[in-house]
Amino acid sequence: MTANLADPAVTPEELRRPADGPPEPRAARWRWPLTPKMFIVAGVAAAIGYLALVPLGYLIWGTFFDAQGLDLGSFERAYGDGRMGELWGNSLAFAGGAALLSITVGTTLAYLNVRTAVPFKALFFAASIVPLIVPGILYTVSWIFLASPQIGLLNAFLEPILGTAPFNIFTIWGMIWVEGLHSSPIVFLLMVAAFRSMDPSLEESALMSGATRLQTLRKVTLPLVRPALLSSILVILITSLESFEVPALLGLQNGIYVFTSRIYFVLRSYPQDLGAAGALAVSLLAVAVIGVAVTRLLAGKGSKTYQTVTGKGFRPRPLDLGKWKPVVGVGILFYFFVTVVGPLLVLLYAALLPFYQAPSWEAISSFTLDNFAQVFEMNSAARALKNSLILGIGAATIVMGLMAIAAWISVRSTIPGRGIVEQLSFVPLVIPGIVLGLSISFVYLRFPLPIYGTILILLIAYCTKYMPYGMRYASTSMTQISSELEESAMVSGASWWTTFRRVLLPLLSPGITAGFIYILVVSFRELSSSILLYSPGNEVLSILIWEQFENGSFNVLAAIGVLMVLALMFMVTVAYKLGAKVGLRED
Amino acid sequence: MRNRPLVPLVSLAAVALMTSACGGSPTATAEGGGGGRDSSAEAVAAAETYDRLNGLSGQERTDELVACAEEEGELNVYTSNTDMEKLIDGFTDEYDIEVNNYRANSESVLQRILQEDEAGYYGADVLETNALELGVASDEGLLHPYESELRDSVREEGREDENWTATRFNAFVVGWNTDLVPPGEEPTSFEELAEPQWKGKVSLEVGDVDWFTALHDYYVEEQGMSEDEFTEFMTRLASNSQVAKGHTTQGELLSAGQFAVTASSYSHTIDKAAAGGAPVAWRPANGEPVQPIVVRPNGIGLVKTATNPCAATLFVDYELTGGQEVFAEAFRIGAIEGGEDPLEGLEVFPVPEEKLLEDPDTWNKAYEDVVANGQALD
Repeated sequence: MTANLADPAVTPEELRRPADGPPEPRAARWRWPLTPKMFIVAGVAAAIGYLALVPLGYLIWGTFFDAQGLDLGSFERAYGDGRMGELWGNSLAFAGGAALLSITVGTTLAYLNVRTAVPFKALFFAASIVPLIVPGILYTVSWIFLASPQIGLLNAFLEPILGTAPFNIFTIWGMIWVEGLHSSPIVFLLMVAAFRSMDPSLEESALMSGATRLQTLRKVTLPLVRPALLSSILVILITSLESFEVPALLGLQNGIYVFTSRIYFVLRSYPQDLGAAGALAVSLLAVAVIGVAVTRLLAGKGSKTYQTVTGKGFRPRPLDLGKWKPVVGVGILFYFFVTVVGPLLVLLYAALLPFYQAPSWEAISSFTLDNFAQVFEMNSAARALKNSLILGIGAATIVMGLMAIAAWISVRSTIPGRGIVEQLSFVPLVIPGIVLGLSISFVYLRFPLPIYGTILILLIAYCTKYMPYGMRYASTSMTQISSELEESAMVSGASWWTTFRRVLLPLLSPGITAGFIYILVVSFRELSSSILLYSPGNEVLSILIWEQFENGSFNVLAAIGVLMVLALMFMVTVAYKLGAKVGLRED
Repeated sequence: MRNRPLVPLVSLAAVALMTSACGGSPTATAEGGGGGRDSSAEAVAAAETYDRLNGLSGQERTDELVACAEEEGELNVYTSNTDMEKLIDGFTDEYDIEVNNYRANSESVLQRILQEDEAGYYGADVLETNALELGVASDEGLLHPYESELRDSVREEGREDENWTATRFNAFVVGWNTDLVPPGEEPTSFEELAEPQWKGKVSLEVGDVDWFTALHDYYVEEQGMSEDEFTEFMTRLASNSQVAKGHTTQGELLSAGQFAVTASSYSHTIDKAAAGGAPVAWRPANGEPVQPIVVRPNGIGLVKTATNPCAATLFVDYELTGGQEVFAEAFRIGAIEGGEDPLEGLEVFPVPEEKLLEDPDTWNKAYEDVVANGQALD
């Protein structure tokens, strides 16, 4: 094998592919015996199917049918707008740009964090997730305060150097910038998991054989994490296509409308035109189904290609950056200043003021802790925090548990129809939040067990909503684990369940931890379905945030944002440390 | 690995269709009262109590009501009123009743009560929300009339529907940043805001269809403007404007100086910010604010299927008495006539609720087009 490495044209695919041996040794082994394995697999598949089909069925029924039967009028209402071409153009430019930015940023940060000896790793990790914690509306408004041509602090600050108003956040570039940065933690977490499970000896071999760092990156590193990259692109493209917060706050200002503004317009009056909203969501569904199929196809091509966790032991040892260290150090500082420290400082600044005003001595002398005091005085704040914690941890645990098995079904098994499991798990991503809420309350109002009106209904909603992300995290990690480990365990007499628990689960831990952190963090700000489904006593934090927002207390909202960042940074650090104790270890 | 991308696709669609076919039409509304609402035991019992209370007056009514409500001991409120916690604090200080409060945006409150009604699940005792949603609930037959001397003292615009009663009003005012608009230069009319000197300095809110429709009726039906003139006028106003989403964000950006004027802020947003020291106002030091001021009631209705009908009625009483002070403290405009009236002497114009209820699409589209075409003029 080493001899081949001298040839730079040899790709990792060729390096890892076994020269001979049975191509698909497991294909013939599949039977349907009544084993615990069958029950677990069937149970998980059924759970995923159920969670996905409730909202999908509701959406499709409402879109294609009315009381009289098949009705396609909703499509005309949804797409009959003369400016549809322009809307799609803006949406694609926005989503494509945001995906490019977040993937570049997220991948670079993940690589530096996992594979190199950057300083302050734990802090670096937590800080990379900050944009995810800050509610979108606060993050976006912070950017208005930083880069609006009229009131932007950065513009005022840089005017002597760059001329009048060098930045304008109210453009498609501004929208891409904010959305891209806000979604970069999704990519960061996925790529961290991928890099942690990658054997660095492959890169070292390439380097020792004379390849440059750039060649190694291009020919070895990136191809090996292709499943994670594909997953990132898919998730970010679709979430950006669906996103309305950033386009509404930044784009509308100057008349940049996107595809989702149609969903907003058709849903805002009574009766809500759920049919038209569904018709719009159907095109997202098509994009998603094709996306998942393409990802499966590409990631599945020679499934051994990406298996870097093999029987051969390795310790993911950090790479010394050498002469690049100062450059990287400065780059990281710059990134954090621009994307984390800047918006956070603006938020903290707003949280300390009775009302927003440009920084001045007068403003600073009016600093007060009243906004924070108001948060702590809220009647239901403690209860809401507790509920959000229970739901966040509950949903993250359940989803990652289910998805670990689902990933095995989808990536590793030879069960017929395994692709459907992956497709289904991705469906909730394209369902608008309000439709998800309506479909779930529709079902549980008629359910024999008393789930409606309890916290369980929220848990079900959260599990449905975050299943797609969980699946991306779990299946990406699963593609990296070599099947030979599983086979060895089986040959040594371990049952499937023991193998799964003792071999696969620990090896999946980078992906599971990343998915867990992601779900925990984003579930704290889930509003669109929570607001319909919660009941008195089951309030969650996002409801309180919404209330402050409706009430016009923007500065109290900023205080809540600051507190959320502190609390979740702490929890993320704990989760990350715990996750790092299981499975692959670093030096 | 064999892969057949078509199989998942087809199966997905098939399974989805089969599943949903079993469930009936999920998006149908509660036409005709789902699940036999009016004949349900809850509705029959509640109707009896409501009618008995509505027949009483004076001290006799109060005594009977408080005794019965405290016996029920509980109240379930569905609301979109964000001052509800303070109202409930006042209510529970006075009476020994536990209040469960479901609060959400008005669309969700309506969706929830309709869905529950359709499924025969009766969770709400009172519904406290915006005029449009109360109108829908009333049309769907969810509400029972509330009668009392207090209702008679509510402003006329607030008791047009017998099934619900206004408790407070939202007023759409033209607000400005006092640092950017010096005294004496404040806008005096909507027509002025459409003139070139306000180019780029105004802000509209993307969802204010109710405000737009009210102005339409004011200018076209009262001032004799033609439809074309009105559209042209509003398009010019939009071309002067930056479009914001949400009145809170808009208010925050106004005080930060992102724009100089907002064409349709809530008076309470401006008043509250000004009380905190922000440089915003909607009344000039000299002269009158921009008029007409479009007003829209928010109110409360008794739910037919209430399990605590006495507590529900007592709560409506409370909102029209002690609750009015809570609203005033939150800079909102109370509904009782003769109280302190921040709009006294000003020309107000109500939102045409019927029109919006009958044909929401036309008005949504009209406003959407005016805004988009105006912005395209830049």
